[in-house]
Amino acid sequence: MTRYIIERIVAMLLTLFIIVTIAFCVVRLMPGSVYDNPELPQKVLDALEARDHLNEPIIVQYGYFLKGVILEGDWGTSIKVEPSVPAFDVLVKRIPITLEVNVYSLLLSLPLGIVCGTLAALKKNKLPDHIISAMVVLFISVPSFVFASLMQYFLSFKLNLFPIVYESSAVGWARFSSMCLPILALAFGPIATVTRYLRGELVETVNSEFMTLAKTKGLTQVQATVRHAFRNSCLPLANVIIPMFTNILGGSLVVEQIFAIPGVGGLMVKSINANDHPLTIAILIFYSLVSLLTILLVDLSYGIIDPRIRLEGK
Amino acid sequence: MNIADRNNMPDFPKEKFAFVQQGAAIKDERFETKPIGFFKDAMLRFRKNKASVTAIVIILIIAFISIFGPSFNPYGFNDQDITRINLPPRIPVLENFGIADGTRILTNRRVDKLDDEEKYPEGTIIEVFNRRVEKRVEMCDVKINAYVQSGCPDDYFWLGTDYLGRDLWTRMCRGSRVSLIIAVLSVLANIVIGIIYGAIAGYYGGKVDMVMMRICEIIGAFPQVVVATLFIMFFGTGIFSIVMALIIRGWISTARMIRSQFLRFKNREYVLAARTLGVKDTALIFRHILPNSIGPIITKAMIEVPGAIFAESFLAFIGLGLQAPEPSIGVLLSEGQKVLLHYPYQTLFPALLISILMISFNLFSNGLRDAFDPTMRGID
Repeated sequence: MTRYIIERIVAMLLTLFIIVTIAFCVVRLMPGSVYDNPELPQKVLDALEARDHLNEPIIVQYGYFLKGVILEGDWGTSIKVEPSVPAFDVLVKRIPITLEVNVYSLLLSLPLGIVCGTLAALKKNKLPDHIISAMVVLFISVPSFVFASLMQYFLSFKLNLFPIVYESSAVGWARFSSMCLPILALAFGPIATVTRYLRGELVETVNSEFMTLAKTKGLTQVQATVRHAFRNSCLPLANVIIPMFTNILGGSLVVEQIFAIPGVGGLMVKSINANDHPLTIAILIFYSLVSLLTILLVDLSYGIIDPRIRLEGK
Repeated sequence: MNIADRNNMPDFPKEKFAFVQQGAAIKDERFETKPIGFFKDAMLRFRKNKASVTAIVIILIIAFISIFGPSFNPYGFNDQDITRINLPPRIPVLENFGIADGTRILTNRRVDKLDDEEKYPEGTIIEVFNRRVEKRVEMCDVKINAYVQSGCPDDYFWLGTDYLGRDLWTRMCRGSRVSLIIAVLSVLANIVIGIIYGAIAGYYGGKVDMVMMRICEIIGAFPQVVVATLFIMFFGTGIFSIVMALIIRGWISTARMIRSQFLRFKNREYVLAARTLGVKDTALIFRHILPNSIGPIITKAMIEVPGAIFAESFLAFIGLGLQAPEPSIGVLLSEGQKVLLHYPYQTLFPALLISILMISFNLFSNGLRDAFDPTMRGID
């Protein structure tokens, strides 16, 4: 097992290295210089470029970059979004907010999804199942930012139930209530995913032999489903939930922007539009790292749940 | 007839004898029913699914509007006119019922300023209500006809106009056209690349398969957001680069699916028989094995369309959309989002359109999957 984990981690680092290389080259090869303030004299611009090694060949720049990242933990300095603050610090400051919103929405969607999925499976082809199926199609189809816009207008602006945008200075309940809408907007998709997956799993296991046994010994359909079938479906469910986290992270890019949440998503949009190359690279690396870690986690959990897959990998 | 009778048989002339089957070919009875092929069978099952049939009708209507919609009214998608900015929707017949009548409610206006002919031309003010006194100034809310106020009382912008005075109906039709083109192009390319890649990997197997799947794994590890961002940053915005950004990583799932289909079918007896007869690899792949996967391929393509539409509007939202003035659903949404609280209709219509489109495609692909593979029915 240890060997398998080490192998996977090495493979992951290799992929990360390739991604970093490509990201660096693409961002640096983009037309237009980082320093393009027309008010500065050419000499100053040249000096700035020389300071950041921007006037040297890309290979040399990449060498400097790698040296900085690996030896000194220096990811470059943000140039425009937050001038002369290290890119790493800019990023780290915003990660907790993004994580908070994402984790809350996951915490909200999991129980709801599990309840809906079980209910739909128990009442298969009856009214509750049809209602839940319709809900699933709706939630899976409609993009999170459409929900976000609609809720922002109707719930916050028209009905005044929630603050319109995120209030970072508020504390306690006021802060949480300003986070409610983004959390909701991000939760709809995952709720539907969990519901659909769990329903499929349960409907399949309901016909298995151990369920017949459970019912023969006197359990009702509900008892048998919740105690036996549900437990069996829990493990595969883990593999749906982990990648969901990355998906939410991607979706929160836009939702963060709509609700003006000062998270990583908004930062990425800002840094792309402002040509802040060092920061863009740092954010891209962050996103790659998150999704690679997710893949790693899924692979490892597969290995733990089903040892056959691990053996096949070798 | 037994032998004894034979002798007593009446004497028939030889030329009266004729073969029973003579002239008519010997064959089985013709089937009364018509043969049902693979597609016909699927069609029969598909038609029973009401939701999917409705979905395909809606998709066709949207496609029709996206092609012909802009010619329903005289405005171009980029006709800017600053005298008519942010007009609310106004539709000829509906306006008589109070819906989409081109009126807007302005809140917190000073009553003494309502006579200002510059700001409120003759006939602009329809109703003044909610009169109150705040800080010794008389205030009120007014319902105005925005079209009269802008000096174009005879115009009808069905879905209103945006911040540059462009007709939103025309822009939305054109936008949905662009979004659909992006989705269809990227999905087509993904499917074609995926089929060829997956077929080669699955058919040849062994080392070829291992190397090709390893490459897939590495490309698949790139997060979609990052790939699309890098690609569009590098090649600039435009339909081509958005499509390319969606292709880079999009073909992998198709390739995986085709590969597993090939692993399933390549060792069947009929393939062996064809190979023994000397059929070439290409023919084996495309004529003998691939047609087995036609159902899953079509379903897969339809499943990927809403994903591509979503990805396009997502990119537009984070500022990597199409170059102005070209609209797409995503561009319209993100432009509407900026003025959401003041002019909600500018967000509402594109939001409705993308929602309906996505729901329809999802229902349609669900129906297709059930039709092509009845064993999967109800599993979702």
